[in-house]
Amino acid sequence: MMSPSRPPLECPACGTPMNRHAEKLVEPTGEDDASHVDQVLGGVIEEIYCCPACGTNADRRWKPDPAGS
Amino acid sequence: MADTRPLNIPVILGTTRKGRMSAHAARFVVGQLAREAGVITELIDIADLPQPVDDAGEAIKDAGFSEKMNRADAIVIVSPEYNRSFPGLLKHTLDTCLKEYIHKAVGIVGVSSGPFGATRVIEQFLPVLRELGLVTIFWDVNFGHVSKVFDEVGELRDHAFVKRTDKFLKELIWMAETLRHGRESIALRS
Repeated sequence: MMSPSRPPLECPACGTPMNRHAEKLVEPTGEDDASHVDQVLGGVIEEIYCCPACGTNADRRWKPDPAGS
Repeated sequence: MADTRPLNIPVILGTTRKGRMSAHAARFVVGQLAREAGVITELIDIADLPQPVDDAGEAIKDAGFSEKMNRADAIVIVSPEYNRSFPGLLKHTLDTCLKEYIHKAVGIVGVSSGPFGATRVIEQFLPVLRELGLVTIFWDVNFGHVSKVFDEVGELRDHAFVKRTDKFLKELIWMAETLRHGRESIALRS
């Protein structure tokens, strides 16, 4: 099954579409994280991005697909 | 087209102890890095950072340190060996960041008063750095018998460390360039 498409993340510094180069499994640290926990992986997936134009780094947490894909 | 942006490679001095000889090693590495074309560097002394003990992990992140890690393409960590391990405050400092380190290169410079040059520290440090998302290189610099390597004002006495440090830095720079390309241009598969 295809993963749900993620909306592109734009560089906060220059507006260029950023490259998603990593996903890091992290421990949930707050109440807001509860809805982000991937039950299969056992943690919260933090997506790590980098801008190909200026090198700016960014990240965001992704809510898991309820279907488990 | 060649990337003209310089690589940013700060050096973290990982001890706050009075009389720390690691400061000499850290300043030496900063000096050697500063000679490299296309590289900018600075010394980050953990003694200059706030070390709060009323919380844990990223919740006590220092904005300045976080920004420096965010801008870094690679880092050098200079660590002494205290009772066969790295200083607790160094771990405490590193644990305040996470996403800032992902897919960035790290090299370790070990310092000891005895003969082993903190090799035991480095072996213990590798799994920690891996979990932080850093990419370790296969060269280290080991300043054993450090009081013989530097004089009391930090001048290098043993010039073999120039070549040893050069090999270490060349590998770190290669990895920093490679990982920058990957971070910016190679997408994680969906």
